[in-house]
Order: sequence, then structure tokens, then C-alpha cells
Amino acid sequence: MELAWLIPAMSAIAFPAILLPGRLLPRGGAFLAPLAILGGFIVFWIVLADFLATGNAGFGITWLEAGAVRLSWGIFIDPLAVIMLGVVTFVAMLIQVYSWAYMANEPRFSWYFAVHSLFAAAMLTLVLADNLLFLYIAWELVGLCSYLLIGFYFERRSAAEAAKKAFVTTRIGDVGMLIGILLLFRATGTFDISTLIHLAQTGGIAGGALTAGMLLIFAGAAGKSAQFPFHVWLPDAMEGPTPVSALIHAATMVVAGVYLVARLFPAFEAAPAVMAVVAAIGLVTMLLGATLALVMTDLKRVLAYSTISHLGFMMLALGSFGLGAAIFHMFVHAFSKAMLFLSAGSVSHGTNELDIRKLGGLRRRMPATALCFTVGALALAGLPPLSGFFSKDELLAAVLQGRGGVFLAFTLLGAFLSALYMSRVTLLTFFGPLKREQEHAHESPLLMIGPMLILAVLAVVVGFLALPLVSGYGGFGHVLEPGGEPFHFKVWLVTLSSILAAAGLTLGWLIYSRGALSADAVRARFPAVQRVLESKYYVDVIYQWAIDHVVLVAGRFVALFDRVVVNDTGVNGAGASVVASGMRLRIHVTGLLANYALGIAVGAVAVAVVMWLMTTA
Amino acid sequence: MDTFDRYVLLLLTALPFFGGLALVLFPSSRPVLIRAFTLLITTVTLGLSAYVFLSYDRSRGGFQMVQQFAWLPSIGASLHLGVDGISAALTLLNGIVAFAGTLVSWKLAQRPKDFFVLFLLLVSGVYGTFASLDLLFFFFFYELAVLPMYLLIGVWGSSTDFRTFLRTKEYSALKLMLYLVAGSVLVWVALLAMWVDGGDALGRSSFGFLDLQSAHYSANFQKLFFPFLMVGFGVLAGLWPFHTWSPDGHVAAPTAVSMLHAGVLMKLGAYGILRIGMQLLPEGAAAWAPVLIGLGTVNVIYGAVSAIAQRDLKYVIAYSSVSHMGYVLMGLGTLDAAGINGATLQMFSHGIMTALFFAMAGVIYDRAHVRDISVFEGLAKRMPVTVGAFTVAGLASLGLPGLSGFVAEFMVFVGTFRTYPILGALAVIGAALTAVYILRLVAKAFFGPLDDRWRGLTDASRLEMGAAAVLIAFLALWGLYPWYIMKVIDSGVAPIVQRLASG
Repeated sequence: MELAWLIPAMSAIAFPAILLPGRLLPRGGAFLAPLAILGGFIVFWIVLADFLATGNAGFGITWLEAGAVRLSWGIFIDPLAVIMLGVVTFVAMLIQVYSWAYMANEPRFSWYFAVHSLFAAAMLTLVLADNLLFLYIAWELVGLCSYLLIGFYFERRSAAEAAKKAFVTTRIGDVGMLIGILLLFRATGTFDISTLIHLAQTGGIAGGALTAGMLLIFAGAAGKSAQFPFHVWLPDAMEGPTPVSALIHAATMVVAGVYLVARLFPAFEAAPAVMAVVAAIGLVTMLLGATLALVMTDLKRVLAYSTISHLGFMMLALGSFGLGAAIFHMFVHAFSKAMLFLSAGSVSHGTNELDIRKLGGLRRRMPATALCFTVGALALAGLPPLSGFFSKDELLAAVLQGRGGVFLAFTLLGAFLSALYMSRVTLLTFFGPLKREQEHAHESPLLMIGPMLILAVLAVVVGFLALPLVSGYGGFGHVLEPGGEPFHFKVWLVTLSSILAAAGLTLGWLIYSRGALSADAVRARFPAVQRVLESKYYVDVIYQWAIDHVVLVAGRFVALFDRVVVNDTGVNGAGASVVASGMRLRIHVTGLLANYALGIAVGAVAVAVVMWLMTTA
Repeated sequence: MDTFDRYVLLLLTALPFFGGLALVLFPSSRPVLIRAFTLLITTVTLGLSAYVFLSYDRSRGGFQMVQQFAWLPSIGASLHLGVDGISAALTLLNGIVAFAGTLVSWKLAQRPKDFFVLFLLLVSGVYGTFASLDLLFFFFFYELAVLPMYLLIGVWGSSTDFRTFLRTKEYSALKLMLYLVAGSVLVWVALLAMWVDGGDALGRSSFGFLDLQSAHYSANFQKLFFPFLMVGFGVLAGLWPFHTWSPDGHVAAPTAVSMLHAGVLMKLGAYGILRIGMQLLPEGAAAWAPVLIGLGTVNVIYGAVSAIAQRDLKYVIAYSSVSHMGYVLMGLGTLDAAGINGATLQMFSHGIMTALFFAMAGVIYDRAHVRDISVFEGLAKRMPVTVGAFTVAGLASLGLPGLSGFVAEFMVFVGTFRTYPILGALAVIGAALTAVYILRLVAKAFFGPLDDRWRGLTDASRLEMGAAAVLIAFLALWGLYPWYIMKVIDSGVAPIVQRLASG
């Protein structure tokens, strides 16, 4: 299992290897990235086999030692880490294969693969880290890579802005996270995750410090996982190349926040007030994302808000003490969402268009893409027996048990909306009559379709992992929470949620395919709702106002204060002007610079010599 | 190698000093010769400073490579050189920045001979200050490092009309000089007082650092004179509210001078507070630490907020220096091992980072002849290497892990959270503000569609790329592998912390 560090290390080395000597190799050495991640995927199986044989393990090296502070680069392997290693290496590998065709004509082809590789490496390190500081390091690198990839088309103003927005927004959460980590360190003297969890569980951390620390750490998680009020960066992040969106939404970046809460789960459990916040934020985010996904007209934006909504589901499950449910949903969502984004990329590859109002009937031109997308959409909508059905069911059960009926009702509403917007976007894009401007649309090459098909198959079948399939395997959730009860269905809940999913899909079909109900009529009936939704609840507007009227004004004020008050009044006014004119005059009269230089040096030497002579004499 | 070890510090200080003097004899008509000679000197001194850093035995600790020449026994002054872990690290910093500064000044056309003479004298002064174990020579070298700045800015600097106000190079040079001289006066008063009082205690006059360390100044004396050193040296370190010389000075200075100034000279101030102030007057430091850490926090936030509003490329960097020097002052003010270690590494890290910033800003200014961020657009298309290197410096300054700034700031945070958690939280917020101004600058000036005005810009030359590569290599080296340098620094910090605790 000691090999586990190789998984991130290979991809990490690929980054400088592509950028420096890589330029001498064919295609700028870009092929090193898929090779590295393939290596990681192979090592993953070795680690998995070891893990099944021996169980949890950890080891590390000292990275820095000063005074009493000792920081290490250590890794820790448990079921959660193993699952994540598998998902990240596998999805990143498929996306890289897809990118090889998708990005083929890009001028910065090798740069793309270099950063992609670093991105995977950072995420894999984050997954393995055994202490909060090491995790934070990887966490920030994940943020950097997303910044670089979202801003890949930096010539586009919108891409540059989106990249900046993603970095700054998540950074604000990270400030909280770092303060939280430091508060916990102040209280305990350690960054080690297992030790912290142990102390939290045994009451070794004062209640106030624990609550404050965990709440601040959650701020970091909320930033990365695009939870309200930090969600604004994610929809804009689609400015990056589409495979990047697939990576960010499925295997890296946004998953990091959910993973962080899961990693520290027992410590969060020890702070019930924070758990309530996690659940509430998750619920708000889930509904916000779902309602906005209904009105977006850009294919990738719909998917982005859908991700926000599903991340809300995951946080809600975590806040409802449902660790297994949350991670299972993340696992399932990773395959469907990666595939949906890759399909969206295929659409844009074949049509150069992502506005769903201008698309339609694409299944005639792009049958494989349409098939994949539809499967992904149905899985996400939670139609039995696709994967999303199982994870949604576990999630609903967890919410009911942890938070009760009101939360469950809202969660069911979210599930219904999920089915509705997925049916809307699928029908508008792939069904109905083919639009005339899409006559030239064409299917994508095999290198792109292949990964999509693999993910589609997984989106269909991975749900069954929830079931205790073989003896000794109590179901997915049971692996993560060995003490918990094994998987079982709550029949009324399964029935209810399936009905709602079917209802959502049917309503979508009635509106967007049959035209039995008119979306325009609904809009006309509720103009205020329409305005609020299309303004995305004004969150962006409020932020922009705050930046323009608070941050920038404060900056200008301090800068002016510095120049006018501190400098011009305080410094210049302090009688310096008299001396100044004298000095200035003298300088301007001579100006033989070598003299001055010599003067300084020779004068010093002369004084030294004279004084030395005096003393020896 | 023992003999060599005993003379290496002398060699390091003397080589640029006499090299600079020798340069006076060179014919002005042969700039190539002058440059080559300067490069030779700075390359050799870079090698020597790397030798000093690497051969410093951190397990033994204390002052090493010590050499003493009697000079004025009657007043107890001697040329006494030696380095501990802290000064060994900072010596390396000076070597790197001086070398990189020479590379980026290659094309300097105006009076290159005079420029490089002053440049080398300055470099020599810095080496001497870091290596001095005698307060009189410390002060001499300190002034030798500071004084050439006036001419370097006044002659080779640039004046800028900012429409609402004008900053001439003469104004900036003068303000800088008056400020630093005023600071020096405070320092000099304190040094003389320590000499007199220490002489009484020891029974003989001595400027020797090691002698005075055992002089046991009274608590009242320490509390009275520590502020002289804190403010006197603090001026050079950019201590708020005595910092305004620094943005104007940095902006007016030519590229290599900005690099040395922000990169190394400001560290002399912080080094003075640590070495003379905290190590010799530990009780005074303990009494004044809350003020130091408080002002340091103001530096961090105030500098960052000011930087947000700046439109001039170099002003952004200059205010960012004010902000980042705040972390150094905060770290010192914690009186905590982690904090002081962090402060020292931050001196190193900020030195490299800001040198890289100024070098790349210089490249841009050299091609575009403006520095107004609002007129730049899409430079990344034409100057990928320059912009890339600038962005790396920016990422280091916003505390990205993997680059040395993170390690340093993190250690400062750890120290501050132990002593003043609220200020620690403010310091972390300062790092987020840094992200705001750096990313705004990068997005506005470097990204976006290429403006037609900038179609003709050329990327950094090979020499400039070389300078950037050296600087980036060190940012990444200490960011990924801080173990070695941290061990070296810690061996110097540990006895100081011990004195602070027992004092």
C-alpha cells in the first residue's frame, strides 16, 4: 500500500515534465499526462487489493520542522480515500482520452494536458492527506488548477473574468478554512486528522473552539463545493473548455468540499450546531440550483446549476448525519455528470452551439451522444433502476432520519425539480424536429464517444453497489460506516420518490415535447418569479455592488489617505521642504556621479585609516 | 577549507566593494566590459553566498566562519565577521537578488559605469551588514547600503505624472533619503547608548555584538531604547506609518534598484530589529512586542487595501511590499519560535518574490513605456514568459502553497494564533485581499483580447528570462522543500527565542 503516494506523484511529475523537456517531444509531450494517470489507475488497483487484505494504513515524511512545529507530508488510506482514488483516477483518465480529440486543434494543447495532470495530482493528494495542512496545500493547488483551466481561453474577456471569480470566491471560503485550521491547531497543537477527530470525539477540544473551527472549515468546503452563498463561481466556470467542466464537476474541485466534510465527519458530528448549518446550507443550495436550472438557456449552464443542486443534496445528506448516503450520491453523480458534460462537449463539437433554444432534434445527427445524454439525464432524474435512483433513495432516507419531515418534503421537491429540468434540457436539445441551422451537425469521433459510452454504462449500473451484493459486503454505505445498519428500502419512500421522478419527467415531456402546457404562459402569469429567477436571485448583483461600492471604495479611500494625509501632510509638511530645496540645489549643480560614489567609499576608507593611525601611534 | 571558511565573509564583502572601486577605472566607452565585470563579480559572490549558506553547520549552530581584525581597540571596535542561521540565509538572498539584478540591468544605456559602481557598493554594504558582529561596522555597512540609493533613484529613476499628482524622481529620492537618514539617527543614538551602558557593565568599551550580548542591560534601559531601534530600523522595513518613502521610492527607482531595494534593503531593517533590537534588548522587545505586532497587522491590511486601488503596476507591487513586510514585523512581534522563523523565511521569500515582480514589471515598462494597468489588455498573448513569471510572483504573494511565501506566512500565522488570534485572523484575511489585487491586475492587464497598441511588444530577452528562472527556482525550491532552509534559520532563531524567554 506504500505505493499509494505514486498515484498523485506520477501526475504531479507530468506537469513539469510536459512544460520543460516536453516541448522537444511530439505533440509537446502532452501524452505524458494520460500515461501518468493511467499509471495512477493501475496503482489504484494494487492499493485496493492491498487495502482489502490489510485495512487502513498511513505513513509520511517530515516536511518542515522549526521550533516546536513539525509538519509532515503524510498519507492515510481508508475506505473513503480508496473510493475517491478510484473515482478520480478513472474519471480523469477518461476525460483526458476524450480531450485528446476534443482539444486536438488548440494551440496550447500541451499546456492543457500539463495543467490537467497537475489538477488530478492535487486532487489525489487532497484525498490521501492525513493532516489538515497537507490537505490545505493540495486544496489550494486544486483551486489554482481550476483557475488556470477555467481561464484557458484567456483571450476571451469572459474567461479571464470567470477564472478570477472562481479563484477569489473560493479563496474567501479558504480564508475561513485556514483560520479554522489554525484555531484547531491553537486548541490542540496538531494538524493530524485522526488525532483531531479523536480529540473532538472525546471532548478534548473546548466546545467553543470546536464549533468555531468546524464552522470556519465548512466555509472552505462551501466555497469549493459551490454552496450558497459561494455558488456564483460555478456557472461562470463553464468558460473553460468543456472537458474541464466535466472534470471540475465530477472528479475534482467541487467534490473537494464534500470530501472535506466527509473526511472530518466525526469532528463535525461532535459539533451539532455546525451540522445544522451544513444541512441548512445544503438545502438552500439544492433548491436554488434546481430552480435556476429550470430557466437557463445554455446547455452547460443548466448542467452547472444542476451540479450546484446535487452538491446541495450531498451537503444536506452530510448535515443529516448520512455520510454513506452523501458519498454514494457523490460517487454516482460523478459518472453521470462527467458524462453529461462530455456529451455537451460533443454537442458543441458537432454544432458550435450550446443555446438550447437554437438546438433540437440532434438525435438524428448525433445518435450516440443523444443516447448517452439521455441515459445520464434519466440517471440524474433518479428513474429506477438507474444509479441515481439508488443514491437518491439512500439520501432521502438519511434526511428523513437525521432532519425529519420538513427537510424531507423540500428534498422531495428538489428531486422532482431535478427530473423536470433534466427532461426539459434533454428534450429541447436532442428531440423534436431538427432545426435547419443544425443540418450540418455531425457525430464526434470515437475517441470522444468511447469514454462517454463507458461512463453511460456505469451511470446505469453503479447504483447496484448500494445493495449488499455478496456476503461480507454490506452495501456501499456500510463500507463507509461499518457500524451503521446495512442497506434496505423504505417502500413508501421509494414509491413516492419514483412517482415524483416520473411526474417530473412527464411534466417536462408535456411542456417541452407535446406542448400541452406552455412554459411561456407560466412565465407570463408570474412575471415577478420570472425576473427573480433570470436574475439568479440577484446574488451576483449584490456581490458586484459590494465590490464596487465597498471594496474598491475602501481601497481608493485608503490609497488617497495614504497620499494626501500620511504623505503630503504628514511627511512633506514636516518642515522637510526647506531642507529639500537646499539639497536639491546642490545635486543639480554638480552631477558628476562617479565623484559621489567615490566620495562615499573613499571617505569611509580615509576615516578608517586615519583613526587606525591615531590609535597605533 | 578552514582557512577559506575564515575569510569567505570578508571576501564576500570586499569583492563587490573593491570591484565597485575598480570599476571607476574602466573606460566609460566600453559598456560591455563594465557589464561583464559586474556580472563576474555578482556571479562569484552568488557562488560564495551559496557556499556560506550550504556550509553553515546547522547542528552546531551559533556564529560560524568567524573572523576578527582589531581596528580601534580603544573604543572596542573591530572588524568582526560571522554568520548564524538567520544571516546565512539572508546572505544567500542577497547573492541571488544581486545576480538577477545584474542580468536585468544588462541593457541599461544611461551611464552604465556609474550605475554599476553604486550598485556594487550597495551590494557590498548589504553583505557587510548581514555578516557584521560589531555594531560600529554594522552601522557603517548599513549606511553604505542605504546611501547609494539616493543617487540611483535621483539619476536613473523615472518621474511619473499621475494626472492628479506628480511624483518626480528627485522628490522620491529625497524623501527616501531623509526618511532613512532620520531612521539611522535613531539607530545611531540607540547604538551609542548601548555602547556606553554596555561599556559600564562590562568594565571595558566594546562594540562587539557578543560582548554586548552578555552586558545585561537594565529593564528600564531596554524599554527606553528598544523603540529607537524598532522605529529606526522599522523605517527601512516599511513600518506603518513610516512607510510612504517606500512606494514612491520603488516606483521611481530603476528596475534593478527596485529589486535590490524591496528585495534586500527592506530586509536590513527587519534584520536590524531582530539582531540588534530583539537579541540584545530582549526585555525591551517583550515590552514593545504588542506595538510591533499591532503595527505589523496595520501594514498587512493597509498595504493590501491600498494596493487594490492602485493603477500603476509598480505602485501595486510597492504597496504589496508594504503589506508583505507587515508579515515579517508581525512574525517578529510574536516572540514565538514559529513566528520568528516565519518572519525570517518571509524576508527571504518576499525578497525573491518582489525582485521577480519588479524585474518583470521592468520588462513590461521597458517595452510598453507605460505602467498604467488600465491601458493594458491581453499582454499574455505577446509576452507569455514575462506575464507567466509575473503571475508566479503574484501567486507566491497571495500565499499559494508550493511556493515559499505560503510556508513563511503560515509559520507567521501559527505564531500569531498562539499569541494574538484576532490579529492572526486579520493577517489571513490580508492574504485574501492580496488575491483580490493580484488577480484583478492579472485579469485586466494580461488576459483578455490583445489590444492593437500592444501588438508590437516583444517578450523578455534571454538574460531577463534567466533572471526570472533563477528567482522562480528558489520560490519553488523553498515552497516544496522548506526543510533545509528552515533548519538553518531555526538554528539561529532558537537562541534568540531562548533569550526572549529568559530575559
